[in-house]
Amino acid sequence: MGTRILTVEDDERIRTAVRFALEDEGWVVDEADSGESAIDQFSRGETDVVLIDIMLPGIDGFELCRTLRRNSDVPIIMVTARDDTHDVVAGLEAGADDYLTKPFAPKELSARIRALLRRNRPVTADASTVRIGDLEIAAEQGVVKRAGEEVHLTKTEFRLLCELASSPGKVFSRETLLEKVWGYDYFGDGRLVDVHVRRLRTKVEADPAHPRHVVTVRGMGYKIQS
Amino acid sequence: MLSFLRLGLGLRARIAFAFGLGGLIVSALLSLTAYSVTRTTSLDQRAEAVERQFFNNASFVRTASLTEDASFGDILDNLPQVAGGSPIARIPDNENLWVAPRLASEDLPPELIEQVATGEGAYSMRYSRNGNHSLAIGIRVGETAVSYFEIVTLSEIESNLSSLRTTLAAASIGATVIAVLLGVWASSRALRPLATVSEAALSIAAGDLDTRIDERGDPDLDAFVGSFNDMASALETRIERDARFASDVSHELRSPLMTLRASVDVLDARKDELSERSGAALSLLSEDVTRFQRLVEDLLEISRSDAGSIDASFDSIDIVELLRHVRAATGHVDIDVQVMKSLNSPVILGDKRRLFQVVSNLLENADKYADGPVRIMLGGSEDHIRLTIDDAGPGIPKDERRLVFDRFARGVAARRRGTGGGAGLGLALVAEHVRLHHGRVWVEEVPEHQGARFVVELPRSREQ
Repeated sequence: MGTRILTVEDDERIRTAVRFALEDEGWVVDEADSGESAIDQFSRGETDVVLIDIMLPGIDGFELCRTLRRNSDVPIIMVTARDDTHDVVAGLEAGADDYLTKPFAPKELSARIRALLRRNRPVTADASTVRIGDLEIAAEQGVVKRAGEEVHLTKTEFRLLCELASSPGKVFSRETLLEKVWGYDYFGDGRLVDVHVRRLRTKVEADPAHPRHVVTVRGMGYKIQS
Repeated sequence: MLSFLRLGLGLRARIAFAFGLGGLIVSALLSLTAYSVTRTTSLDQRAEAVERQFFNNASFVRTASLTEDASFGDILDNLPQVAGGSPIARIPDNENLWVAPRLASEDLPPELIEQVATGEGAYSMRYSRNGNHSLAIGIRVGETAVSYFEIVTLSEIESNLSSLRTTLAAASIGATVIAVLLGVWASSRALRPLATVSEAALSIAAGDLDTRIDERGDPDLDAFVGSFNDMASALETRIERDARFASDVSHELRSPLMTLRASVDVLDARKDELSERSGAALSLLSEDVTRFQRLVEDLLEISRSDAGSIDASFDSIDIVELLRHVRAATGHVDIDVQVMKSLNSPVILGDKRRLFQVVSNLLENADKYADGPVRIMLGGSEDHIRLTIDDAGPGIPKDERRLVFDRFARGVAARRRGTGGGAGLGLALVAEHVRLHHGRVWVEEVPEHQGARFVVELPRSREQ
């Protein structure tokens, strides 16, 4: 049983061409032509990765992304025809793990999917549990607790937190985080890190506007501290 | 009227100057009029008073001279004093021709003596006596040959007039100064709305397109404010439309490209199943899809930069590392980068994606038009980094060196366009990106051979 990818795209020609190309790469592809039908198909529970085009009739890509995120930490890749900051950041804030700009090379998409799936298997941190202030990170179990209560993180957020927590106090540059968490070699988009850090803070910080654990080191990157 | 003054003087200075000039003219005119009226009136009044007294005295002298034992000395002594005056008598039959208790005959102007002696009635004359303004008046006494004169000094009137002159001059200067100050105040007050407009225009130029000026309830200004705001709105609408257009074009062109890209890749994977002819056609298609894709990306990039919707993200970039990645991505790993000793640190603040494009476009340009790059050098100083890329081509003539950075640089591109030719946006984008970094890019000749040398100079921090 291969990895199932759900591509949500209203343009039939693109949908078909992308399906052919992805099938050539060895993935099993499901198709949805609208947000509504995507939610239907997703509810069958067979999907491993979702590819969402932002411009959809009816429920748009952002809304679909938020809807899926409510109940699932499935890896989501946004596809946008516009790479201006607004669309990219809005997509990431809606819960996407990564984004691609049309027209992308199917090989690049495959690489992104592989990176996301690799991340889905929890790695890092030898010690079973790391404590940072009121945070408790059990890397093996994939569980994070804040003040004793379990916090629900997506896989990417979890991986980002583990990466930072692997060396508390050490400053991680965006580039390093893009490489370690997203698998980008040199050309990752720093906005990926920024938005994910922001999302992570809303979950692990008591006051996300004044973070105490995941802090910004101006001009250098991010670090975790107790 | 004052157009000759416009050279080199600001509006404010011109208004202040006009106010000052106006103040000076009006106050000087008023002062001169006041002075001359006062002068005439006070001298005339004085002369009139002197004459009245003089004629009284003259008749007294006549009556007294009829007395037998009249001594002119005594008569003159007993005369009522004419204010500020001294009497003199000329008695032709006397042994002393002149009787003058306080003055000498030399004090009288000779013309007056002559006139009185030969003429009828009284004569008067204003003249300067030892530097003092004086009035002399004379008459022959009755039928005798005796002449009676009075010399009146007018110096105290003159000194009054002189202090009046000083006062008026001071007042005129004062009025002029006040007028200048008033002009400065009025002009800066009148120009104050312009400062607001200037600030608003600067803020629009800096990208705050929704900047507007508040109306002030002044009918003169509000018309101006209204048209400024209309202009700003029109500009905003237009820029937004351009930006939206770029964005729409982006979507419209990228979607079919997506289908093309994916379909060509699917075909490419089955190239072996195709006939030789079909395979060759597919190669052409594939290459031109790539080229078309590149052109669309470049066009979008440049129109985004035109619309000012730049989403640059500035980070610390290690240029040596950047060069390593660009060389790997463009197939130039065999060309070494010579790092100059002058370069103490290869790190600058920049937008990685754009800087990558700068270097890769320059390398590709060398590939396309000049048999490839032959040398990459990295140097710099405290405040900037300098990257030079030499090619092995025929060089670029001096007069075309600027043109190569033009979009679709036609004259140059027509000759330089190779078989795999791009549309000539590559170097235009280099120029745009370098400009965004507040840097400079130019072409010069390579000293050792005839190739072209592209030089990019980037400041280390964004502020410069």
